[in-house]
Amino acid sequence: MEKIIQVDQLRKEFKSFSSRSGLKGAFRDLFTRNYKVIPAVKDISFDINKGEMVGYIGENGAGKSTSIKMLTGILTPTSGIVTVNGMDPHKEREKFVKSIGVVFGQRSQLWWDIAVQESFRLLKKVYKVPDDVYKKHMNHVIESLDIAPLLDKPVRKLSLGQRMRCELAAALLHNPSLLFLDEPTIGLDVLVKLKIRNFLKEINEKYQTTVLLTTHDLTDIEALCERVIMLDEGQIIYDGKLSKLKSNWGEGKQIEFQFADVEISRMKLNPLLTELEAEWTRGDRQNVWVANVLNDEHVISEVIGRVVAAHKITDIKIHEISTEEIIRNIYEEGAINA
Amino acid sequence: MTYITIFFQYVAQYLKTRLTYRVDMVIEIFSDILFQAVNLIFILVVFDHTEFLSGWSRDEIIFIYGFFLVPFAIFGAFFNIWDFNERYIVKGEMDRILTRPIHSLFQIILERMELESLFGIFTGLGVMFYAGSRLNLSISWYDPFVFIMMVFGGAFVYAGIFVLLASISFWSDSPTSIMPMMYNIGNYGRYPVDIYNNVIRFILTWILPFAFVGVYPSAYFLGRQEWYGYAFLTPIMGILFLSISIFMWNIGVTKYRGAGN
Repeated sequence: MEKIIQVDQLRKEFKSFSSRSGLKGAFRDLFTRNYKVIPAVKDISFDINKGEMVGYIGENGAGKSTSIKMLTGILTPTSGIVTVNGMDPHKEREKFVKSIGVVFGQRSQLWWDIAVQESFRLLKKVYKVPDDVYKKHMNHVIESLDIAPLLDKPVRKLSLGQRMRCELAAALLHNPSLLFLDEPTIGLDVLVKLKIRNFLKEINEKYQTTVLLTTHDLTDIEALCERVIMLDEGQIIYDGKLSKLKSNWGEGKQIEFQFADVEISRMKLNPLLTELEAEWTRGDRQNVWVANVLNDEHVISEVIGRVVAAHKITDIKIHEISTEEIIRNIYEEGAINA
Repeated sequence: MTYITIFFQYVAQYLKTRLTYRVDMVIEIFSDILFQAVNLIFILVVFDHTEFLSGWSRDEIIFIYGFFLVPFAIFGAFFNIWDFNERYIVKGEMDRILTRPIHSLFQIILERMELESLFGIFTGLGVMFYAGSRLNLSISWYDPFVFIMMVFGGAFVYAGIFVLLASISFWSDSPTSIMPMMYNIGNYGRYPVDIYNNVIRFILTWILPFAFVGVYPSAYFLGRQEWYGYAFLTPIMGILFLSISIFMWNIGVTKYRGAGN
């Protein structure tokens, strides 16, 4: 497998100046300053192969943005080695950025006042894309993202969803082999999200484009990525398959019962679960209770059997624990061994 | 070569957007001219009270002012990046700049250009011709070439100083407050440096060499041979200062910390 990204012991520290309190402190700050060295990314290492779509997740301040900025050549690492597309992103910045595409969800690549196609034209010059390549590739992109009717409108007149699709097209204008997406679906409606996901899948299949995706929306990651890298406090706490994460951590199931008896209470329900690995939690209504059980066919059938035999029920649902809950659990319990 | 085509692409786009806001453009040019007129009136008022200023006549000083307007117009059109810190560092726009395959400073110059300023070239030339004809200056065949060299030298000096100041933003947080002061100091270069004391003269020549934007190069055209040495230093100082500032800029970019999201 061809390695697109190689990161070895990558570290980034920020010097931050902490001011002393009071007027006297301010005077002392003039002469000697207290600097605190804060490590944002602590010696992380990972590789990404060609054609992979990887989800890069972590809470705010976990070091996601900082590490992405080092991978894209915006920031210089404090120590460690980054090789992306065979280059050192920061040292050969101008040559390097030609081989990547970047979408920052909260920042526009397009010119605010001019029509979308004019922005594309400028970018085409900037990236030195030949006419025939541009035509062939961009016609396809424009069609799949369905942005042809938007091309002659100035960016400031587009809605967020329309703008995001144009941003994506702009990032792919030079057909980069590696695409960085930072919160690409933030604030978008479901239909636009689906469109963008399908498009990403399509170019990944067609051009073997490697995608590194940061998002808070885990449904994006579930839809696109087989592999996730999870960061916490500047360190990688999980790097592996999303499915493995689910099977290791999403062990339990939840059975939600809605009882006909409105007066049902924990007192009456508790005896039903004796000698089983299960426990009750209150649901969102008074007659709704949830049994948290082990994911085991014997336990599940036993619980349902006992409850149904003892009480009249009006509804029953079985939930699997969602990725979001799994990730929340991981963050609460700290690092896991992948 | 690519840089030249990209430059013209940007200029074309710039004109396109500007033409859609025609009124804005007219007002901007008009206020520029008004501003220059006020400066000119100031010179005239000063000379109402005196015949000579350290041996420089009224028309000579007007000529220097006229010359100054030309490099200043070029500076204003392309290197006027006084809001760099706020716009690019604090708001994090520098992130976007750094993900494009063109030199970062060049991109910022293209994004921040204000071509209306170039109108100042005509005002400057007009003022120079007016003063020059009153002084009976003659023009030799090589003078236009020397003029272009001097103008670029002066514009580069100005640009170098402002790029250097913008580079400070990569290290420190708010140098924006220095910028208005710099504009004021820049204005000192419009008057003959021998009216100032030695310290200010030294500063205006070697530290913040604004004298190379106005008085020194003009001295050549005014035939003031005692200043010729300085006059011909103009292009050298320009290239030197611009190179130093680009060098500092390049170091600064590696120190860029990015804005938090």
